[in-house]
Amino acid sequence: MSAAATALSSAAELRSTLAALPPGSVWQASRLAHGSGPVLSSGFDALDAELPGGGWPADALIELLVDHPGVGELSLLLPVLSRPPFERWFAWVSPPFLPYAPALAAAGVPLSRLLLIRPDATRALWATRQALASGGCSAVLAWLQHIDTAGLRRLQLAAEEAATPLFLFRPRATARQASPAPLRLILAGAGETLQVSILKRRGPPASRALRLPVRRLQAGDTELIACDAIGEAPSSRPAPLQLVS
Amino acid sequence: MLWLALLLPELPLQVYTRSGIDAPLAVVAGHPRPCVIAASTEARALGVEPGQGVAAALAVAPALQLRARTPALEAETLTEVACWAATYSPRISLVPPDAVLLEIESSLKLFGGACAIADAIHEGLARLGLQASLATAPTPLAARWFARTRPGMNDALLPGWQADLDSLPLTVLADGTGVAPATLELLAGVGVRTLGEIALLPRAALARRQATAVIEALSRARGDIPDPQPWFQPPVQYAHRLALPAPVCETEALAFAARRLFAGLAAWLARRHAAVDQCVLELVHERHPATRVTIVSGAPCRDDSRLVLLAREHLARLELVAPVEELRLLADAPQAFAPQPDDLFGRPGQARDSAMLLLDRLRARLGADAIQLLDTRADHRPEVAWARKTATLPSASPFPSPLPSPSPTRTASAGAKRAHPKRPLWLLPDPRPLAPGVVTLLEGPERIEGGWWDQADIRRDYYLARGPDDALWWIFEDLDPPGAWYVHGYFG
Repeated sequence: MSAAATALSSAAELRSTLAALPPGSVWQASRLAHGSGPVLSSGFDALDAELPGGGWPADALIELLVDHPGVGELSLLLPVLSRPPFERWFAWVSPPFLPYAPALAAAGVPLSRLLLIRPDATRALWATRQALASGGCSAVLAWLQHIDTAGLRRLQLAAEEAATPLFLFRPRATARQASPAPLRLILAGAGETLQVSILKRRGPPASRALRLPVRRLQAGDTELIACDAIGEAPSSRPAPLQLVS
Repeated sequence: MLWLALLLPELPLQVYTRSGIDAPLAVVAGHPRPCVIAASTEARALGVEPGQGVAAALAVAPALQLRARTPALEAETLTEVACWAATYSPRISLVPPDAVLLEIESSLKLFGGACAIADAIHEGLARLGLQASLATAPTPLAARWFARTRPGMNDALLPGWQADLDSLPLTVLADGTGVAPATLELLAGVGVRTLGEIALLPRAALARRQATAVIEALSRARGDIPDPQPWFQPPVQYAHRLALPAPVCETEALAFAARRLFAGLAAWLARRHAAVDQCVLELVHERHPATRVTIVSGAPCRDDSRLVLLAREHLARLELVAPVEELRLLADAPQAFAPQPDDLFGRPGQARDSAMLLLDRLRARLGADAIQLLDTRADHRPEVAWARKTATLPSASPFPSPLPSPSPTRTASAGAKRAHPKRPLWLLPDPRPLAPGVVTLLEGPERIEGGWWDQADIRRDYYLARGPDDALWWIFEDLDPPGAWYVHGYFG
């Protein structure tokens, strides 16, 4: 016993001893949890590095807290959406606007796999759970207006049981509420990039926000095709536009 | 044939105590002067005895709950047990008031003997909240008599088992035979105590005293003459109820009691090779209309633990308007259900099946309009460049072949990509007037014009603009009078 104590006297030796142990036998608080379940790569290396397991948890409720449409919240999921699932749907439950088919197709999302579900407000939770529990969806995206903690817990259970990720979009004001979701991200725009703050994850709390280079402008690097309808007004000039009406 | 008699002793009391809610309870019956016919363990501990008058029982135990005997509820419970017992034998016969007969000879090999069946029955009945005494015999009547007097199981049919009948008391003749009480009194009066002693009496003398029914019953019990039984037909709808011994106000206790009903439902479904995706749990109140709790499961299921879980969820957020007197479980429209066989290599079509099933279920519940698929159209006007496909083709698969093949959609979108450089992922179905405020124009304009051919002529200059929170907006200026600025999409 005393021999073991002297062997581990210095922190450096302790660290080397820990490193020599087979992985997974000793968990250190500074590490992210690994091997908790299957993950889906998010397509962004910086984000994968911060997520436990190295990607979106494939069997969990993931909350994306975002206030304004247009900060890149969908582009964050485009890498997932553009991986065509094998005979499964990507279900979108109660999206606030119309997912625009030409832009989605340009981003490589297989349109034939998108299932748009527009239930009335009282059945949105039911429809989300159905989509999760059926096992027929690769991922479910949901915009639910009013959902309480019990509803969230049910969704988390359904996602876990069916091993289907659920991306739930909620306003940022709900960040203060407790939630059973194992992963909660706050999304905000930051110039051309998307700022992602990890509010909650399995493992140590994340300290810094990430800036992800999402491709908000689909086909943004192609040249404008000259056509006779374009070019009357002065071309791109960042200038404040005062609206009078 | 080997018959198993399943006798539910004190059934008038068991129909109340099976809910598992402890309360001192006595069941009373009798018209001019009601008296206690059965008392629960808690009531007996307080000094209540069967045969007491109601006033006497209430005097010794003021907290006693009294329930009138309900033969209809007993008959329903017996039917429920018969439905449930179909797990062990396909041939079941109801013997009112308190017994069920199972012909188990054909099931012996499957379950590993009569004792194994008896153990399984005791265990399963405990989940229904009931207790039973069981006995086997080669004839149905003998099985019933044994269950009533000396419950016990025999795996093998011993030759000479009829000798055991001789020692049975005379009173068993009142069960399941057409023997009149007067005849029984007569026999008791001449000093007959057991069935064996009847056999010693001269037959002609018995017949002369209208006691042929006795001889016939004994012959049936011995197997000398056939004793056909009517087979029980399970009902096509499941509707059973569970009476509570005392009014219940806590939903947790209700969920506990409801497990009994769901266990019966699961066995009924298993017998029909069916499953339900919806059932209704009714909470019956004394003065209010019943509360209906509709339990919908995602996929057809006959797993009672899952249904109980769902019921618990529903009950947990229910606010009871009044104490609950009775629970009812109704399930109609069972669907054919074949449990998925396990395959070593998995089932190739499973994902596809569940995807189609999801589509069906959503459409059934939400209507066909609520379920949509998207498509692109070759048009340069934003409103017209997409199309909504109603997913209504059950025969034609909405899935293209799993092999990556250049689909027309992709080539059309590639064309769209060249012609229309920047399109938002969110489109507002109706352009929203741009509220007064400051947006910063980033890029533009892109003139989109046309539509004279279908009377939807537009002339707009589209800009990319920065809105609040660094959001990217797709806005346009309508060049036609009156001319105004609108938001048409978000680069989400």
